[in-house]
Amino acid sequence: MLTPLETVKKKRAEAINRIVGKGYLSTKRVYVGMATCEIAAGSKDVMEVFQTAIKNGLTDVYLSQKGCAGRCNLEPTVEVIEEGLVPVKYGRVTRDMAHQIIERHLKKGEIIEEWVIR
Amino acid sequence: MSRKYSITICDGPTCLHKKSKELESAIEQCLKEHALTDKVRINLSGCLGMCGKGPILIVKPGYTIYGSVTLGDVAEIIEKHIIKKKPVARLAIEEDHLYNRFFRIFGDVNFFGKQLRIVLRNCGIIDPESIDDYLSVRGYEALAYVLTQMKPLDVVEEVKKSGLRGRGGAGFPTGIKWQLTAREKNSEKFVICNADEGDPGAFMDRSTIEGDPHSVIEGMCVGGYAVGAQKGFIYIRAEYPLAIKRLEKAIADAKAEGFLGDKIMGSDFSFDIEIRLGAGAFVCGEETALIHSIEGHRGMPRPRPPYPSVQGVFNKPTLINNVETWANIPVIILDGAEWFKSIGTEKSKGTKVFALAGKIKNTGLIEVPMGITLRSIIYDIGGGIPNNKKFKALQTGGPSGGCLSEEYLDTKIDYESLAKVGSIMGSGGMIVLDEDTCMVNIAKFFLEFTENESCGKCAPCREGTKRMLEILTRITEGKGEEGDINKLQRLGKLIQKASLCGLGQSAPNPVLSTLKNFRSEYEEHIKEKKCRAKVCSTLLGYEISEKCIGCTACKKVCPTGAIAGIQKSLHVIDQSKCIRCGACFEACKFNAIKRI
Ligand SMILES: Cc1cc2nc3c(=O)[nH]c(=O)nc-3n(C[C@H](O)[C@H](O)[C@H](O)COP(=O)(O)O)c2cc1C
Repeated sequence: MLTPLETVKKKRAEAINRIVGKGYLSTKRVYVGMATCEIAAGSKDVMEVFQTAIKNGLTDVYLSQKGCAGRCNLEPTVEVIEEGLVPVKYGRVTRDMAHQIIERHLKKGEIIEEWVIR
Repeated sequence: MSRKYSITICDGPTCLHKKSKELESAIEQCLKEHALTDKVRINLSGCLGMCGKGPILIVKPGYTIYGSVTLGDVAEIIEKHIIKKKPVARLAIEEDHLYNRFFRIFGDVNFFGKQLRIVLRNCGIIDPESIDDYLSVRGYEALAYVLTQMKPLDVVEEVKKSGLRGRGGAGFPTGIKWQLTAREKNSEKFVICNADEGDPGAFMDRSTIEGDPHSVIEGMCVGGYAVGAQKGFIYIRAEYPLAIKRLEKAIADAKAEGFLGDKIMGSDFSFDIEIRLGAGAFVCGEETALIHSIEGHRGMPRPRPPYPSVQGVFNKPTLINNVETWANIPVIILDGAEWFKSIGTEKSKGTKVFALAGKIKNTGLIEVPMGITLRSIIYDIGGGIPNNKKFKALQTGGPSGGCLSEEYLDTKIDYESLAKVGSIMGSGGMIVLDEDTCMVNIAKFFLEFTENESCGKCAPCREGTKRMLEILTRITEGKGEEGDINKLQRLGKLIQKASLCGLGQSAPNPVLSTLKNFRSEYEEHIKEKKCRAKVCSTLLGYEISEKCIGCTACKKVCPTGAIAGIQKSLHVIDQSKCIRCGACFEACKFNAIKRI
């Protein structure tokens, strides 16, 4: 029988496999803040824009929700993470900005400087 | 410009190495020589918790950590890593600690870079509703580790050794509390997670649960194992629906994966967790009132001893800790008590989460090592006071805490130092006040809260807070009397000494601390009938300036006919008729009416 430590390691490997199966290794990963504070600032709209884009054929993007990272006055926040690049963090994202992030950043690789949190 | 690379240099407030400034200029110089200034962003972080291996440089993308970096290594790192894209293996260190995981993504932003995250390690980087995400960041490994490698008493010892203290407010040593519960001989014991979070303006516990619910559950399981409990309760206010939903899902997922329930991961340990909803009374955060509430009684405190560790829920030995306390546990187990204890001050170890709010540029949720100064929190992380206003006070500890003036900003935060200067660490509320805040009014605000939330069981709290509030109200209305300050002080000290529970014992703190640090404002209100922050409206006078164009708007709204003047000429207020209602001030469109 496996020890608890062996069990958890096995479960971790399985969990990672499932995450990879959901497309974690896509070129770009997008995280949208979905805590009470982020939702109050409008993040559900932003999430919906990304979800719809993926449903309508946007590929090579892994979309996930996340909790609050703590930057209250810049919410909703969205991160775009790409291997080999410093993670890009956008603040005060609106529905319209989300569309632009899809068109310009996710599709063309352009970082939209004026929205980046530093 | 977003730059392709970022180099983070550790610059902890209590750093032993103190090389950050030299390293920074050496890096800047070297980048200039290679014409790379535009491509690489340099930032200084707070303590990264790797002091034994410092000074530390972190190069992104890729997150390569370089340890024991000397000035002589800088050129090699830049030439090999940045230019030839080959990390310098000789200096790179491998780290797979639990703490600070968020740093990989957020560390290059100033607001985040100065923080050290143990409790919030996963908040903002994983999907809180996915147990797979939690597992992927070594979730439930701490639980598996203690079940495989440690006896219950070893776990208690480890927590004791870490120096962790309760984050719910009082700062009681966690390990000792665990020991007191563990040594009780009873076949039935309970653990409780206190997620009542009643301080106005505080949202540390809500964010922790919403961002990483499994870390709290895992902490509770470890605690249950250590003290010999079979069942846990999470007491959370019904006003936190999303946090509750995420906890429910997390508990169900943990059960399905065998991290909760019978014979966890094949061991002999069985443990289950149930959620209990509170209706949001502040007093229900107090442990004995909370226990009554769980039992189905009205949430009222009772005298201690007996402490919950001896007689808690259903009279069984009960271990109660705060959300943040619980979330520290997996890190203490996996990163080790030795490491945990290396962070912080002599008597306060680890980090503290604060909800930073008020008159500050960067509001938000922060986690900082104990020992950081208040000034560093306000200016380095918070970005200072907006609109060129002057700092006036920092309120910590919410309705049980106090207000600190500028002279205390270099205080290094820990439980003792904050108490010494007249405030408390509390559960983590931190409100910055600027020159436009009236300190008497702030004290009144907090006292209104406690007076309202007093459960009424004991007279000192029920009657005392009411009388104090009456005195404060008359002071802010310009009816303060000679001797009111003495009365407030006497009454305050009495309530502190004679109240049954912590609510009453700490209710006078906001008043007493403002009396200590801002006494002159009380005196001005009482003697000169003046509010320097221009907040207490009945103490303000109004005056019409040259800007008046004679539109008559003010004259029309004045309820006592105190304003005289004909159209298109300067108007005047008859001060003997003015009742200081402020209607003219609101009505004027030309900024011609001044508060005096
Ligand atoms: C009026 C009052 C309200 C309290 N509210 C809370 C609360 O919301 N959350 C909390 O964890 N502790 C609260 N406490 C402290 C608890 O009584 C208790 O000390 C704490 O839950 C113990 O956990 P810790 O040792 O991990 O801090 C409150 C105490 C008082 C007197």
